[in-house]
Amino acid sequence: MINFTFDGKAYQAQAGDTLAAALLRNGIGLVGRSFKYHRPRGIMTAGVEEPNALVTVGEGGRTEPNTRATDVFVYEGLVARSQNRWPSLSLDFGAILGLAAPIFSAGFYYKTFFGSAKRWMFYEYFIRKAAGLGDAPSEADPDHYSQRAAFCDVLVVGAGPAGLQAALEAAEAGKRVILVEQDSILGPSLIRDPQKLDAAWIEAIAARIRAAGGRILTRTTASGYWEHDLVTLTQRISEPGQVPADSVAQRLWHVRAGQVILATGSIERPMAFAHNDRPGVMLSQAVRTYVQRFGVTPGKRVVIATNNDDAYKTAHALQDAGAEIVAIIDARPAPAGADNGFPVHNDAVPLSTKGARHCLKSVSAQVGGVTKSWDADLLAVSGGFTPVVHLHMQAGGTLDWNEAAQAFVPAKSRQNVTTIGGAANPDPVFTVTPASNPKKSFIDFQNDVTLADVDLAWAEGYRSVEHLKRYTTLGMATDQGKLSNMAALGRLAEKQGVAIPEAGLTTFRPPYTPVTMGLFAGSGAKDGGAHIRRLALYDVHAAKNPIWQPLGYWFRPRAYPANGETMQQSSRREARTVRTSVGMTDVSTLAKFEISGPDAAAFLETVCATTVNKLAVGRGRYTFMLREDGFVFDDGTVWRLDENRYLLTSSTGGADRMATLLSYVRQYLCPQLRVSAVNVQEHYAGIAVAGPQAKAALTALIGEEPPRHMSTVPATIAGVPVIVLAASYSGERAFEIYVEASHATPVWAACETEVSAHGGCLFGMDAMDFLRIEKGHLVVGTEVDGRLTPQDLGLDKMLNKAGGFIGASGLSRTAFSEPGRRQLVGLEAIEGTIAEGAMLITREGETPQGHVTAAGIRVMEGGSIALGQLEGGFERHGEELIATSPTRGQKARIRVVQPHFYDSAGERYRD
Amino acid sequence: MTDVTITALPAPPLHVFEIWSEAGAVAKRFATATGFDLPIMGRSGGSDTLRLIRYEPTVWLVEGDASALTDVLGKDGALTAIGGGIVRVRLSGKGWRALLMEGGVFDAESASFASGCSAATIIDHVAVRLHVVSEDTCDAYVPLSYSTALMEFWHTAAETLTA
Amino acid sequence: MQITCPHCGPRAQAEFVYERTVDSVVPLDATPEEAMKTLFTRNNPRGVDEEIWRHTFGCRAWMVITRHRVTNEITAIRAVGPEAIP
Repeated sequence: MINFTFDGKAYQAQAGDTLAAALLRNGIGLVGRSFKYHRPRGIMTAGVEEPNALVTVGEGGRTEPNTRATDVFVYEGLVARSQNRWPSLSLDFGAILGLAAPIFSAGFYYKTFFGSAKRWMFYEYFIRKAAGLGDAPSEADPDHYSQRAAFCDVLVVGAGPAGLQAALEAAEAGKRVILVEQDSILGPSLIRDPQKLDAAWIEAIAARIRAAGGRILTRTTASGYWEHDLVTLTQRISEPGQVPADSVAQRLWHVRAGQVILATGSIERPMAFAHNDRPGVMLSQAVRTYVQRFGVTPGKRVVIATNNDDAYKTAHALQDAGAEIVAIIDARPAPAGADNGFPVHNDAVPLSTKGARHCLKSVSAQVGGVTKSWDADLLAVSGGFTPVVHLHMQAGGTLDWNEAAQAFVPAKSRQNVTTIGGAANPDPVFTVTPASNPKKSFIDFQNDVTLADVDLAWAEGYRSVEHLKRYTTLGMATDQGKLSNMAALGRLAEKQGVAIPEAGLTTFRPPYTPVTMGLFAGSGAKDGGAHIRRLALYDVHAAKNPIWQPLGYWFRPRAYPANGETMQQSSRREARTVRTSVGMTDVSTLAKFEISGPDAAAFLETVCATTVNKLAVGRGRYTFMLREDGFVFDDGTVWRLDENRYLLTSSTGGADRMATLLSYVRQYLCPQLRVSAVNVQEHYAGIAVAGPQAKAALTALIGEEPPRHMSTVPATIAGVPVIVLAASYSGERAFEIYVEASHATPVWAACETEVSAHGGCLFGMDAMDFLRIEKGHLVVGTEVDGRLTPQDLGLDKMLNKAGGFIGASGLSRTAFSEPGRRQLVGLEAIEGTIAEGAMLITREGETPQGHVTAAGIRVMEGGSIALGQLEGGFERHGEELIATSPTRGQKARIRVVQPHFYDSAGERYRD
Repeated sequence: MTDVTITALPAPPLHVFEIWSEAGAVAKRFATATGFDLPIMGRSGGSDTLRLIRYEPTVWLVEGDASALTDVLGKDGALTAIGGGIVRVRLSGKGWRALLMEGGVFDAESASFASGCSAATIIDHVAVRLHVVSEDTCDAYVPLSYSTALMEFWHTAAETLTA
Repeated sequence: MQITCPHCGPRAQAEFVYERTVDSVVPLDATPEEAMKTLFTRNNPRGVDEEIWRHTFGCRAWMVITRHRVTNEITAIRAVGPEAIP
């Protein structure tokens, strides 16, 4: 026996029970309240299509709301709670909504939304409180979700008789086979209807499939069919709410199949009649499943309503289990076969049911024009069978109408998929036209949609099935209309006066059954969706406990506060140290490429908008790149390390797209060039040393005169070979040291010793930003935002006059020389502090003429300064403007100036 | 239960060996100098002292002492060091194939992905290069910045492999 | 989708990056008019188009894929780039 609780009360289940079976075993008929009207609901099915018996299972972070009681297998300690009821399941105030049903008919939301806003405000509180399902847990899910790929020749979905046979044949033919079954056992329909093929037969087939190398997955749902025969499977390793034995709760499989065989069977349909949603009304095959598979007989006096032969099996099963068959209401005009001893009434359709909250008391039917009634505690209904065509349709298939079965069956497909078994050949049925009160005849049980709602939608002019769906919310619940869509289509076709296939179908979208969000997140659920890229010198920084800043997927030190400094104080101190003595920082994330070959310069002159080929060995220069339309795309530096070897650096954020651009030029645009362009971003760690004392520090480090500004030399630091580039981003005399990342630590340590000896310190990204803003140096992504040209940024003097680079033909567009373009300017505060992102205006209420791209301070003197883009900015130096940021609540009076606040003659970085 | 162990190996020198012209002549010079042929796409060649693994149409990954290869390339290609940015992770034990399916998209369970085969793919959003050393061993070449995260991912996945 | 890389064989789409259509490539010697026409007045067929993809997370090679944009049917894939080395 297995112990579990439902709404706090302890019960016992038997091994293999679904929660639904266990509840029925314990005589519990009322399981939930309906979505809209809070009507009492019980268990209607024995499968994933269950619309009514939705419960919350598990506790804390493992809580899973809206779980179908028919689709969770009881484990020791399972905790289940009913939903959408207050204060309790049996006494629910929300049921009053049932009395107010006319207000909440189809289109309620539409009408409310399109009505006055006041009306919505009035209803919103009420609706949010009353409508809805279980509550999402607020705690983090402690479990691990795996995502795994698999490849096979044949994927078989559904381990019924057809699926088992197909998998066996394929496996024994030497193919890689995967067989999936959403149930916990193979061949559940064979267990429901024991005939010649029994559990022993199933086990024997499964053993042969496994022996032939086939993989069989139970509790696994093929939930989505994607392009080129990719099928996603959701596997439950532990049950909802259960503590996983191996820490992994579920697995999402991506299966690429050579061929897919769908043996998905069919879903039994309910019938539409008044009060057909009462606990005690159950689908016929579900009744049989509870009797034959779980040994639970859900009723003692049973009425069966059917339009087909299959329901008679239920009659026999119930009789064998000791229940009394009070009546069989068969829609067909005459008996289908020999007398079976049951009280069969032909030409009969159900009309209504009566009962109490928890149970069914009687069933009435129209028998040949006469109304009859029977006392009963269970009504088993079979309205025919709907083939499960979801995957076939997701794969881009078409459907045929099977008139005898009154059902759509798979027809053509553009993928390599076939449907076999009951899903392809549903049983024939007799068409039943609903005859009772449409207002209480539910078709979508989960969203509380009745036949009357379909009629109303029609009356209000909604003709298309897609409109009908959205207006009534039919088929939009968590069961996605598995039981309801055919009934709705039938009603719509009747209204339109057409045959069902002409009424059209809505789209079958994945997933087939609801999927836990954690499964999509996979391991990403832990890191906020993506892995953090770790610096080669991470440990060195971490030991100093800096404030970290995300930069793309990287994390870089933002500031290194000391002695209780705030971040602001620390950044300012670090920047001042660079201005007055020397600072060092980690610049490893910069994009770096090594370009080799006799055509390296030609290659670079294609990528870069500046000249390269005149560069002498050992020299470097600033460069920038354009998009094909002429806008600036990225910037960096290019260094000639050797006759035929260059180093190109560019922005961190643009590293991946720069790698793509270089590859594009190399392989697609100019494949004839004799060049090799290798991404060495991670090969080299980079250390920048800047400040008036930088040269002295470098001299001590490399034991020789360091290179002059924009020159490079190979050197050795701490016995490790390095490349020293003399380039300045801060505006001070500065160097970048590149070292193979795996040997970066001793080089960093040596630099740190020397920097300290010269009165320096480490500086983070904030200090670097202060320094570069003051100097007017650009950042790709802020100043260079893809909307400015080289002219707009004041870079046009550096353009390669010979042309021939990417973007050259875009530069002569007339729009680029029209007045009023946004141009790079400096901004200094006259009053207040300039906010990053602030709008630039001349007076309140006007359309912004530009914006602040980066806000900083004068490092030594203090005072708020910024860089920005301003319409016609080059001509407006001296003008006073307002920089306003309503989102930050900051406003400043500013003056437009040159975008250089510090050493505009560029004397400090030269010797 | 896990039947795969995950170990970061010491980094040997790694180079990119790229040919841009006269591929036939380079291949001949290469075979003469090293005693084995330049491997075809998706394969490796050589020994533990010098191994070339081919992941790209014009590029080979060179593991080990590449000093002889500059002359082999001559004016027809270039050799570029990249070892600083790559961590070599050894996956050993029978479970390596199943492990590589975790977060992967490449068919590492295929029998045709055998000893001496190479493939570049993406695993848990990280670009990874694989080289099958033997039936029980596969080496993964992982970008340095992602190596900590990916090894953590593999350790977690290895524990849940058989679940 | 599954894309058959000319160098690696069939691989998952996750390894590839769509870059652009073939007709959007601006030659280096294009006149400004040609460049603007290529960039801004292209076809966007509901049907077959020639697209440039890159096996970015695989062999890093570029290729031209003839793909039906509604059904995703791929009818041709050709390698581009420096002469393939056997």
